[in-house]
Amino acid sequence: MSGCPFFERKHQLFTSKPSKAEEEDESQKGINKATKGGIIYGEYLQLDKVLDAQVLQSELKGNKIHDEHLFIITHQAYELWFKQILWELDSVRDLFIKNHVRDERNMLKVVSRIHRVTMIFKLLVEQFAVLETMTALDFFDFREYLSPASGFQSLQFRLLEGKIGVADHLRVPYNRRHYRDNFHEHESETLLSSEQEPSLLQLVEQWLERTPGLESDGFNFWGKLQASIEEGLKMEKQKLEKLEDSEVKQELLEDRSKQTEVFTALFDPKRHEHLLSKGERRLSYKALQGALMINFYREEPRFQVPFQLLTALMEIDTLMTKWRYNHVCMVHRMIGSKAGTGGSSGYHYLRSTVSDRYKVFVDLFNLASFLVPRAWVPKLNPNIHTFPYMAEYYDSSYNSCSGEDSD
Amino acid sequence: MSGCPYFQKKFLSASMPHLKEEENDDSQSGINKASKGGLIYGDYLQLDKIVTSQMLQSELKGNKIHDEHLFIVTHQAYELWFKQILWELDSVREIFTSGHVRDERNMLKVNTRIQRVVMIFRLLLDQFSVLETMTALDFYDFREYLAPASGFQSLQFRLLENKIGVPQNQRVPYNRRHYRDNFRDQENELLLHSEQEPTLLQLVEQWLERTPGLEEGGFNFWGKLEANIFEGLSTETANIEQKPASEMKEEMMAEVIKQRDIFVSLFDERRHDHLLSTGQRRLSYKALQGALMIYFYREEPRFQVPFQLLTSLMDIDTLMTKWRYNHVCMVHRMIGSKGGTGGSSGYQYLRSTVSDRYKVFVDLFNLATFLVPREWVPKLDPSEHSFLYTAECCDSSYCSSDDSD
Repeated sequence: MSGCPFFERKHQLFTSKPSKAEEEDESQKGINKATKGGIIYGEYLQLDKVLDAQVLQSELKGNKIHDEHLFIITHQAYELWFKQILWELDSVRDLFIKNHVRDERNMLKVVSRIHRVTMIFKLLVEQFAVLETMTALDFFDFREYLSPASGFQSLQFRLLEGKIGVADHLRVPYNRRHYRDNFHEHESETLLSSEQEPSLLQLVEQWLERTPGLESDGFNFWGKLQASIEEGLKMEKQKLEKLEDSEVKQELLEDRSKQTEVFTALFDPKRHEHLLSKGERRLSYKALQGALMINFYREEPRFQVPFQLLTALMEIDTLMTKWRYNHVCMVHRMIGSKAGTGGSSGYHYLRSTVSDRYKVFVDLFNLASFLVPRAWVPKLNPNIHTFPYMAEYYDSSYNSCSGEDSD
Repeated sequence: MSGCPYFQKKFLSASMPHLKEEENDDSQSGINKASKGGLIYGDYLQLDKIVTSQMLQSELKGNKIHDEHLFIVTHQAYELWFKQILWELDSVREIFTSGHVRDERNMLKVNTRIQRVVMIFRLLLDQFSVLETMTALDFYDFREYLAPASGFQSLQFRLLENKIGVPQNQRVPYNRRHYRDNFRDQENELLLHSEQEPTLLQLVEQWLERTPGLEEGGFNFWGKLEANIFEGLSTETANIEQKPASEMKEEMMAEVIKQRDIFVSLFDERRHDHLLSTGQRRLSYKALQGALMIYFYREEPRFQVPFQLLTSLMDIDTLMTKWRYNHVCMVHRMIGSKGGTGGSSGYQYLRSTVSDRYKVFVDLFNLATFLVPREWVPKLDPSEHSFLYTAECCDSSYCSSDDSD
């Protein structure tokens, strides 16, 4: 059956009413179950609650402003999707925490759910275009009635940031206060306990550290890579030095020097620790090695889905920062440089959060600094090295339908 | 100030977390009002209701399926946006029904709100890709727990269709029952009202009938247009006849004859009324004339915003039909050709709704059939025809800030 809805209908404009008998019959088939009792759409979705949650402050205060409704709905839609993101995120974190991720049959689920999170973030970035149909003038008409409510008080947004792995100590403070101060007891406690649970970043770090092939008495990827790179750079230098002296030769030699520096830094664990302490790197040295391994050997069967996971994690960072930037632009248009309803400097504060401090998987992005020609990547021998094509299944709790306990 | 967030920050990863002094201070300035009592975000948005209304049927029945949560949240998000569309739609209909639209200062508001509805529909279209991350296998795991709930029971969706102007008699019936039978009591009444109250289509129709320039005793657009078109066609025919015989000449002749037929039908009021009765046209003959007038003279100051409105109305139709089609494709992937949870033939029924029967402003699309070379469009004379640049601002109730809406 062709997927085309116009198949057999010819040029719709001039075919008056009913379709061919055959199609009419097909579309008539079935019994109308909906009127026979049983759960109804509106009840299933609790629409009596969801659709009854829009109270305009401007109306309450006797000066109903039309555009406030859009403002409310937009934020409620964001919060619904935040809930969904948390649902997916927690289920993935759980798979890691319970060690179910060691059974590699669970990797599909992990990647699918993280990918779903990126799809939701894409939608949330697109959603700005709807709120952007509100002008600054219209916003001005009802903004006073909202004070002091503010996005700083969005619990789910903070939970989301924390659970992905945004570092507390890297947050831009506003008013030199802790971000948790915006919340009252119960919510503040929820935030505190979530800060103490392992974040996606930490769980992925531990998983990366276990990447097969890192074992120094095994494949010893890191040792082999270092040797291979040193050899490669040496050969290049020798080749270059044989060239006739020229400006180009100088430039090439300089490039090579720079390269050498980059790789010397890569293989310096002390330097890595230093950058970790400054917050410029977030993954452990071993986890970094695991990530580079997966990148270089991504086509090996065992690493294909893990590679997709690393890509999806970077996508989350990219989308979150786009979200922040979209938000900044909109706020600028709405309130110029006035203070935000939460009391902060609004535009300036938000602009400062569009920064790598908030990039959780920054190390994955930086791996691109360490790419090498394929020839320098340590060779695999399928006879000796079975790990690139043999998966591990040892979780006894695994069963193939997702009915497994929580998720 | 440049919009670039990296301005003055140089290469951030080398300099973080040390912000430059100036920006550090700017981002710090302000007092933290949020912790001093007063309206809180969560209360303002009644999140206690929104964020606690996700109850998985699969969980209730002892077999919690992860993906059901996505299913629920997606539909709730759709319904929130349906509510917003209805909010905008009703406010625009009100501007027409109250007569306020005669004060042309209200046109910006009308246009902006319809354009907003278009933007929301675009988002609703994009939203499918999120639900599409659910596989048929995953859906199968919890679908049984949902029966017989179905989108047929979405009140807001039907209200939306009705208020825009989808006509009852054009709806594809399912199971030969009325679509309203899915609803009881209050909801059924609400739906009935929405069928009886003036729809956006009807209100726009009346507005189009009032398009300045249509008056026979005035500019007489229609009469002038008819004369110009047939004169133009005659000249073309004569030109072609003078050419030496050839295959090309035959084709050109045939083409001109076709054109003539099209225009003869355009100026045939009886034919229009016939098409109205079969549902192939929806606007009155006079309204059609008004629409064509606005098209041809869209650059005249008075018609610029009206032209934008007509474009947006077509965008609504286009997006709604794309929404229906996206829905069809997804359903097909999810359940193949099994019955829908509402009992209908699912895929087949939905496919049949992707049709011009559901295109409300179909006449506006069809106007493209009647485009003519610019020279045939009746000429305007600004000294005589001041209606083109003189707006009417007669509504004493107009005030530039929103009263009701």
